[in-house]
Order: sequence, then C-alpha cells, then structure tokens
Amino acid sequence: MDTGTAYGLRPGSPLNELAQVGPGTPYGEVLRRYWQPVAKVEDATTRPISLKVLGEELILFRTRKGKPGLLHPRCIHRGASLFYGGVEEEGIRCCYHGWVFDTEGHCLEQPCEPEMGLHRDRVRQPWYPVQEQYGLIWAYMGPPEKKPLLPRYDTFENLADDEVLIVNDKGVGGGGPEVLDFNWLQHWENVMDPFHVPILHARFSGNQFTPEMALIPEVSYEYTPTGVRSIQMRELGDGRQLRRVTEVMFPNLRVVASPKLASGQTNMIGWVVPMDDTNFRIFTVARDSDPDFLLKLRSTHEGKPWKELTDLEHQRLPGDYEAQKSQGDISLHTEDHLTTTDQGIAMVRRMMAKQIRLVANGGDPAGVVFDEDSRVVRIEGGNYFEGAADAPLLAEAVED
Amino acid sequence: MLPNYLPRPPRGDRPLVVLGISDVVVIEGSPAVPVTMHHVSAWGRWVRDVAIPDDAAARVRRLADRYDVVWASEWGHNAHTAFAAALDLPEEPWPFLPVQFDKLDRIRAYAGDMPWAWIDGPVVDLHDPGDVTDGVLVRVDPGAGISGVDLDLLDARIAELSR
Repeated sequence: MDTGTAYGLRPGSPLNELAQVGPGTPYGEVLRRYWQPVAKVEDATTRPISLKVLGEELILFRTRKGKPGLLHPRCIHRGASLFYGGVEEEGIRCCYHGWVFDTEGHCLEQPCEPEMGLHRDRVRQPWYPVQEQYGLIWAYMGPPEKKPLLPRYDTFENLADDEVLIVNDKGVGGGGPEVLDFNWLQHWENVMDPFHVPILHARFSGNQFTPEMALIPEVSYEYTPTGVRSIQMRELGDGRQLRRVTEVMFPNLRVVASPKLASGQTNMIGWVVPMDDTNFRIFTVARDSDPDFLLKLRSTHEGKPWKELTDLEHQRLPGDYEAQKSQGDISLHTEDHLTTTDQGIAMVRRMMAKQIRLVANGGDPAGVVFDEDSRVVRIEGGNYFEGAADAPLLAEAVED
Repeated sequence: MLPNYLPRPPRGDRPLVVLGISDVVVIEGSPAVPVTMHHVSAWGRWVRDVAIPDDAAARVRRLADRYDVVWASEWGHNAHTAFAAALDLPEEPWPFLPVQFDKLDRIRAYAGDMPWAWIDGPVVDLHDPGDVTDGVLVRVDPGAGISGVDLDLLDARIAELSR
C-alpha cells in the first residue's frame, strides 16, 4: 500500500503572530516601536502621495516651506482624502471644504466656518512624526510616550570626500519587482539562512555572485543585543579564509555585505518595510564613490536582469524572489520541518517571539535607543579576508 | 502531526517527558544558576556557544531513568547530537518532534494514550495553552531552565496522571 500520499493533506497555517503587521497585531506592535523608512526624501514634495505602511494608508507631502508631513488620509471633517489636497506654506488644504492641517495635524483653518473655525483648535488630523536622515523619510508609528531616538549607523558616518550616500527603494537584495508581493518575514528571515546560497544562487542559478560564495560555509550563530548574527567561514584553498558576517537587527534590518565580496565592513544596510501582510518594500542605503553602486549590485541570471526573464527562465533560474514568493503570500509556517540548516531562522523567530512578549508587557524591544550617547549603532556585518594577503580571488566576480 | 514527518514512536512502556531545548537546557540571557559555556555543533554545519546549567546533565539523566524523553524543539534531530557531549546523552538518539511554537497538539498526537509531561520555556507559547489536564505542563524560569524544575513534584504529578 502506498504511504505518505497527499490524500487528506490538511494545510498548515501561518504564524500570524510573527508575520502580521497591522495595528494591534503582535509583531505589528513591535515594528511600531521603531522608526521606519517610508519614502525617499525626494518623494516628499508639494504633490501629496499615498503610502501604505504596516497596513496603514497614509499621505506624505512637503509643505512649501520644506517641512515633510505624514497624515492619516481621511480628512477629519467628512472623510475626503487628503490625497486630493493642496499643499501650502504651512500645511495641506483638504479639497472638499478647505480645512488646512499642518504637519502635526493641527487644524489651521476652516474657511467655511465663522472666523475661520472657532473650534478648529479642538480637532486634530491624525498624524505621525517624521524625520529625514540618510536620504530617507522616517516615520514613527508607535505609542507617543515610547518614541525612541532615530538611530545613526557607523556604516554611514564620516564619509570620505569622494563618497556619497546612495538610497534605493526598488528592492535591491530581494531580486524580483520593486514592491515584493509576499509576506515580509519570508525575506527577512532568509538573511539568516546562509545555506541556501550555494544551492539557490549557485547550483540552481549558476554563480549569481562569486565562486567563493558557491562554497558551502562553516557557520556559527549567535544572538546579539540587537538581533541575530551568522559568521560564515569559507576556506578559499589558497591559504586565505573568508569570514563573512551577516546580521538581522530588530525589528527588520538586513545587514548583508556585498555578495561580490567587497572587503571590510559592509557599506550598506537594508530595511524590510511591510506595506501590509502580503507586500513589502526594501529600502537600502549604501555609501560608495560610485552613485550607481546599488544598481550594479542587482542579481542577474545568466547575465539577464530579473525583469527581462521569460517565464521559462524564471523557472529554470530561480532566485530569492522565486523561492520566497513560492512559499506563499504568507508562508504556512506550521508546516515547516525545521532542521539542521534552519538554526538561524529558528533563532530569528524565537527572538521575535521574545520581543512580542516584551512589548505586550510594557517593555522596550531590542535595539530601541533613548540615550543620545547610544545613538550611533555599530555594524559588524562585512566580508573579512584572513590569511594570505596577496592571493587573488578564485575568479573575477560575475559581471552584470 | 506534521505532514510527511513520522517521528519514531514511543516505547510505550513508560510515561513521556517532552523537553524543549532553549530556556530548558540552554540558558539565554542572565543565568540564575551556575552555567558553563559549551561549544555545540550540528554535524559540523554550524556551531553555537551556549550556556548550559551545570546540573542539567544529571537532571536529564534522572528523567531518562524514569521516563521516555522526547525532544520537541526547533533544533530538530540536532537536539540529541548537538548536546550529546554536554549532557552525556546515550548514543541512541531520543525521538524528536521538530516544532518550535504552540507544541501542544503535536505532543498530544505523539503521546496518544501515554501519560506525558512537557517542560519548556514560556516563549514557545504564542497562544496560551490554557488549562491542561491531560498532561503535566511545566514552564521553566528562563534564568534557571531545567535546574529550576522540582523533579520530585514532577514525579508526583506524572504518577497522578498514570492512575
């Protein structure tokens, strides 16, 4: 008799406590305790744009005096969308009856009301505080009394004269489209899975990175105060070792050094920012003297960019997008058979569960910064070559 | 049970004690009991330095002398091999259930009619398991792990189940 058939198979379910991001969801409340990048600085203009972040619809604009604002879209008067509003010197004017709100939701005018609104100071358009840093607009969407400092990262401090900060919101590191259409956790936890690299990014797709990355590494895992770290050692066969350090930092940072193996501390950090439970964006900041550095980093498949692949080529040359998207819009985590190569992922999920408990019990999750002296965060991720200094790489990096 | 995973069945002649790893055998964070750092490995694929209570080996052995021990954790089959040296475990690996959170249904399905006890840390409960009357549920203090479990009381509670 056949055994183990699919007859009667009952599908599992997502670990929604970890995956969901909306208001009031367990990990959604963790995500809200941190500043999140929501747009590039140049996207905040006098033309309002719609954003969706952590399941919330928002309107982003910049006043004519230059101040960015992030408001709930439904005008508190009668619900018309501020997407159609007109941006002025001090704020945004609703298209319907002209109520004006500043960047903190204060109502400045109610033009159809006596004396421009005798009680305009008693209403408030819901808003979120925003800051600008590293070329990004950052929003804090959590409880006001718990608002932390916006951290700085040592990776991006003290630029050399020929260096610039480069910002990308088009999914660098994810492969696939600009808006990634599956649950964010499938991408973020993948950062702690070094074992997929020699299989997915070499054996299946040909060397998407460098031949060194096709070597199966020896890995050590550790918890850090702000996340989980893996250290991957590869013997390069020429007397050198490659110590590649990769981190996830809570709540959603990916610290993945260039897979083209630029030496030293990583020059880039990515933020995996959910739009909702089944869509996310990746905001990446890098420092380099080449303003096209991030564009050149995008994976290719037998030399072709992802968006130019045919359906057959997507099947024959799968990358991160195909593997992670095919887990499902939200993966059925309860079906996972966690085994040897999943230790890093298990550690991430476990630390997520701890942050959920911390936040639910009134505590502060890992890595939130309130003290100015602790504001600059040390980044350990990078590619560190050790051993014989002069030996060349196994081969030239795969060219785009 | 997990689709397409068939754990080794229990011997069937003794109650089961189901053990988590993290918070039970491995202390994360500040330990409230004496611990020693151990360098554990999963078949050489990866290594971790973990803090294990100094009396964990003796306590696990005491449990194994009286009960069938089953691992239930995200460590999978590595639960036994990674900790074999640190806990002085027998060469024949104990059965394992590869599950990380909300383990109760899997444990019940595995145990069947056997009396069982489950020792684990609180983090594994994404959902409150509620009142459990068909088994013995032990939640450890994460700072003490298995060192903080009253094993005599555990014996009494398991004996009560077996009646």
